[in-house]
Amino acid sequence: MAAAVTVGRAGFVSFRGGPLGVAVQVCRRAHAAAAAAPATQASARIKTFAVYRWNPDNPGEKPRMQTYEVDLNKCGPMVLDALIKIKNEMDATLTFRRSCREGICGSCAMNIDGGNTLACTKRIDTRLSKVAKIYPLPHMYVVKDLVPDLSNFYAQYKAIQPYLKKKDESKQGKEQYIQSIEDREKLDGLYECILCACCSTSCPSYWWNGDKYLGPAVLMQAYRWMVDSRDDYTEERLAQLEDPFSLYRCHTIMNCTKACPKGLNPGKAIAEIKKMMATYKEKAASA
Amino acid sequence: CAPGPFPLWGKEGLLCKMATSLLRLAGRRCLCVHFRPGPSMQHLAPVGTTAKEEMARFWDKNTRSNRPLSPHISIYSWSLPMMMSITHRGTGIAMSLGVSLFGLSALVLPSHFPDYLDFVKSLNLPAALIYSGKFALAFPLTFHTWNGIRHLAWDMGKGFKIPQVYQSGVLVLVLTVLSSLGIAAM
Repeated sequence: MAAAVTVGRAGFVSFRGGPLGVAVQVCRRAHAAAAAAPATQASARIKTFAVYRWNPDNPGEKPRMQTYEVDLNKCGPMVLDALIKIKNEMDATLTFRRSCREGICGSCAMNIDGGNTLACTKRIDTRLSKVAKIYPLPHMYVVKDLVPDLSNFYAQYKAIQPYLKKKDESKQGKEQYIQSIEDREKLDGLYECILCACCSTSCPSYWWNGDKYLGPAVLMQAYRWMVDSRDDYTEERLAQLEDPFSLYRCHTIMNCTKACPKGLNPGKAIAEIKKMMATYKEKAASA
Repeated sequence: CAPGPFPLWGKEGLLCKMATSLLRLAGRRCLCVHFRPGPSMQHLAPVGTTAKEEMARFWDKNTRSNRPLSPHISIYSWSLPMMMSITHRGTGIAMSLGVSLFGLSALVLPSHFPDYLDFVKSLNLPAALIYSGKFALAFPLTFHTWNGIRHLAWDMGKGFKIPQVYQSGVLVLVLTVLSSLGIAAM
């Protein structure tokens, strides 16, 4: 790391040209070589990563854990850096999803050292004696290696109609729907969800009842539209959850909030829905 | 759509601006080709399906496939709130069973409860054993009660921040141990 910074700075100086630039460049080479040498020889910090592997193209193959050794001195700080390094330099067959590498796309959600999180924002545990264990999101059908099938999760999101619904659409597109500052603030902590599925797949209730229970991520988005002052279908949205499973399989285990890599609180949102369920006018919804 | 219909449009000349619009057209052509019903249809994300249909397709596809389920309870790291949640359920089931069995045995067994109590007393069991036996009987009741109050606070929408969840959990555990010790001493 130190070597890289030196190169960068020296490079900037030499870019301006002139005899000074040449001198600095020579100096830089010597410096970089000196910095790189001890890093490789003396203090290679080898960390072992155990990664879940399963390939659908090998019929009869069972899922297994494969270990890779990565020198942390030659690797970025995050778990995703290590996975990309493994894929680039050791094993091109390792399969995982990634895109933004900055915690906004939600693609690299996986189970790291027993907890669901985004590989791109999760620091590598630098204790070299501990093996880093990386699994796909729990209790999901595996497409390959660390890639789970999220179609059911997305279909559940679709089912709660995650968009603004108006009773009177005649004014649609004529002028903006104005919202008070207080009403807008109700959406804070809800709209930031990136649908990475870390919370839903951390929930034991979702593990056992993922077919009928909507799970924390989707329920929090249901709540996000219920409390939107511009939406006219709050009662109908609540009525849609009137069955033993969709909402009420939540037993406040709170794995969801603990897992959320964005620091949101789906557990709290579900509790707020339960409160609304107790008081809303069911008749208004059915009418 | 790897080769694409690009050659067909080549006649019109390849000015730089046109090339981009051609590429866009090419993309559209590709879409048209793919959405036509045919063998390639099954590989595509369906357009215009309902959420229900998508769920049905998910379960149908995955239960028929040989895809494994990723590991869950065996690899997920246990936390205090998680442990207390399963204990709440465990103590609930244990107490329901305990009360039912107690009632049933009172109905079925030939003698009365005081006789059995006298029998236990006559065994002259060591005090420590009696005390821990009483503690074991009191623990489910006290834990379930205190944690039930914690659940009531949650039902009012209070105490949902993660530090609060841990604090209320520790409080419940402390109260459980103290009250169980007290009951066992009676």
